[in-house]
Amino acid sequence: MPTIVEVKDLKAYYHTHAYGVQRTVKAVDGITLNIPEGQVYGIAGESGCGKSTLLKVLLGAHKPPLYVVDGSVRYLFDDAQIATLSLDENTLRELRWKQVSYIPQGSMHVLNPVRRIEDIFHDFVAAHQQVSKAESTQLTRTYLRELGLPEKVMAAYPHQLSGGMRQRVTIALATILSPKLIFADEPTTALDVIVQRGVIQILKEIKRREGSTFVLITHDLGVHANLADRIAVLYAGKLVEEADSRTILKKPLHPYTKFLIQSLPRLDDRSTRVSIPGRPPALDNPPDGCRFHPRCPLAVDKCRTVDPAMVAIQPGHRVACHVVTEATEEVRHAATA
Amino acid sequence: MTLLKEFILPRLLQWLLVIFIGVTITFLIPRVSPVNPIDQALSRLTAFQNLSPEATIALRASIEDLYGLQGSIFEQYIAFWKRILRGDLGPSFTSFPMMVNDIIRKSIGWTIGLLGTCVVIAWLLGLILGTLASYYRNRWWSRFLENSLITVYPIPYYILAFVLLMLFAYYFPIFPLVGGGRGTPGLTWTYIRTVIQHATLPALSIIIGATAFRFIMAKALTSGEIASDYVQYAELAALPKRKIIFSYIMRNTMLPQVTDLGLSLGAIFEGALITEVVFSYPGIGSSLYNAIISADYNMIMGITLLSIVGIATASLLVDLSYPFFDPRVRYR
Repeated sequence: MPTIVEVKDLKAYYHTHAYGVQRTVKAVDGITLNIPEGQVYGIAGESGCGKSTLLKVLLGAHKPPLYVVDGSVRYLFDDAQIATLSLDENTLRELRWKQVSYIPQGSMHVLNPVRRIEDIFHDFVAAHQQVSKAESTQLTRTYLRELGLPEKVMAAYPHQLSGGMRQRVTIALATILSPKLIFADEPTTALDVIVQRGVIQILKEIKRREGSTFVLITHDLGVHANLADRIAVLYAGKLVEEADSRTILKKPLHPYTKFLIQSLPRLDDRSTRVSIPGRPPALDNPPDGCRFHPRCPLAVDKCRTVDPAMVAIQPGHRVACHVVTEATEEVRHAATA
Repeated sequence: MTLLKEFILPRLLQWLLVIFIGVTITFLIPRVSPVNPIDQALSRLTAFQNLSPEATIALRASIEDLYGLQGSIFEQYIAFWKRILRGDLGPSFTSFPMMVNDIIRKSIGWTIGLLGTCVVIAWLLGLILGTLASYYRNRWWSRFLENSLITVYPIPYYILAFVLLMLFAYYFPIFPLVGGGRGTPGLTWTYIRTVIQHATLPALSIIIGATAFRFIMAKALTSGEIASDYVQYAELAALPKRKIIFSYIMRNTMLPQVTDLGLSLGAIFEGALITEVVFSYPGIGSSLYNAIISADYNMIMGITLLSIVGIATASLLVDLSYPFFDPRVRYR
């Protein structure tokens, strides 16, 4: 599977200073990952773990006070390799919507309240293609029909649509130019489950039709289970585990991932769910060593001092945990001995 | 029909009510003022001759009759409404027997010409500059504009007007000192040129302050819009800047701005009192000023009436035009 986005040792920090106090929030701290083409790549993690920050940097949409301190992000398209972080504003604008698109978090307010939906579509299409109003309207009508959205939304104003419809219209708006790469930030959050299903179906439909690559960010593992081919789990600005979704959901190795999966409710099991002890760390002053160690029941001395690296336990399954790594090595030694 | 019944009709009724209350209050206010127009008229007449007490009483009665001031306040009020509905504002007390209608007709053109132009220019200028300065807030010209307008804004109007007058009419006599125009009124170039010359300084004095106000307002509204999700999203989608500024930002700041424009245009009919007094401009503000200091009831009432109707009508029109500016405003 060819890679379409390559992230190497990415560090993105928020630098703020107010009243003479400098603060650095290490929201993304040394993340390396490869996003395979044509798949849905899920990024999971709790609130404040750096998911959205990572996405902003991947999009090249980071602005002060967020700074990329180190590392690189490259888009590997068929015809070009693009180092996103060194691009100037204009080249980046060229890429947007045609090649790389974005479905925002909280789509409730991303549609201009004083413009009709068809005019908004025209604005977005005409920004990247030479089209007349009639042509863009035709394009929009066809596309909405293909996605199963009612045609009457075109003449409506955003406030006349329901939340779920607005979200689906926004997804259509983000994908109308068939971009290769689509970043979706919490596309189903704040919608009820019925509407969530509609949104998930529309995302699947787009993926099926265009073969686009999706990078899907959500804290909702249910959505990941539905959509994602691979899942990366983020904790406190660092990657802790990455594998195909089946492995993550069925056989997680990292203690944090295990907690996450265990906390999911199941229909046939009515026992009380165990929540993860403690709280996520503040990213301006993260703990030494493994960032999960204060909450980890398996933590050993090494965890308190040495930051674990991502280690491939199996092909395509990477984990950052000393305990897991050592256990695997012992098994391996035992096997060879 | 629902549009007429549920949207237009209630607003028309409100408009009538506002005018009724306004007219009633303006009827009462000069009558509780300590200056008595009859005493004033009498003292003018008796300044040069002595009258016997009987003659004074007779004169007083005839002046009351002339001015329509006989009877109880209630009778006066009824008579007042009758006259108003006929469109007759009565004679001016001080420039008797000139009718108030004629005086207003003569001065209103000056005021509307001067203030109308100023309000519209300042509105456009402040709106566009404020929006641009807020959007490009790190450019040097935007900082320059903001700093200079914020410096100018708190200067009291009469000082600004006076400084302009001293500078450009006295020390550097580029513009004339008093009046509205020179020569025979008419649509000749020479006359129009003098009108523009006379209007420049008063206009400038108004436009500076009004633009500064509009600029600050537009800038505040715009910075709110820039932070909104839809503008951020449009930026991310690389929409053309022009599109973002006009269709995504300015269009959304329109509602409060149009309201304010409507009200300022309505307020034109009060005249610009200080401007017209400082620049001796022959508009309605000067007439109002003279009427107040000489207790010219009819004149005060006429001008106040005009401004009540003006502002009420302006807010009615603004109210009726909301749905055009914001689709979220639907008639209730």
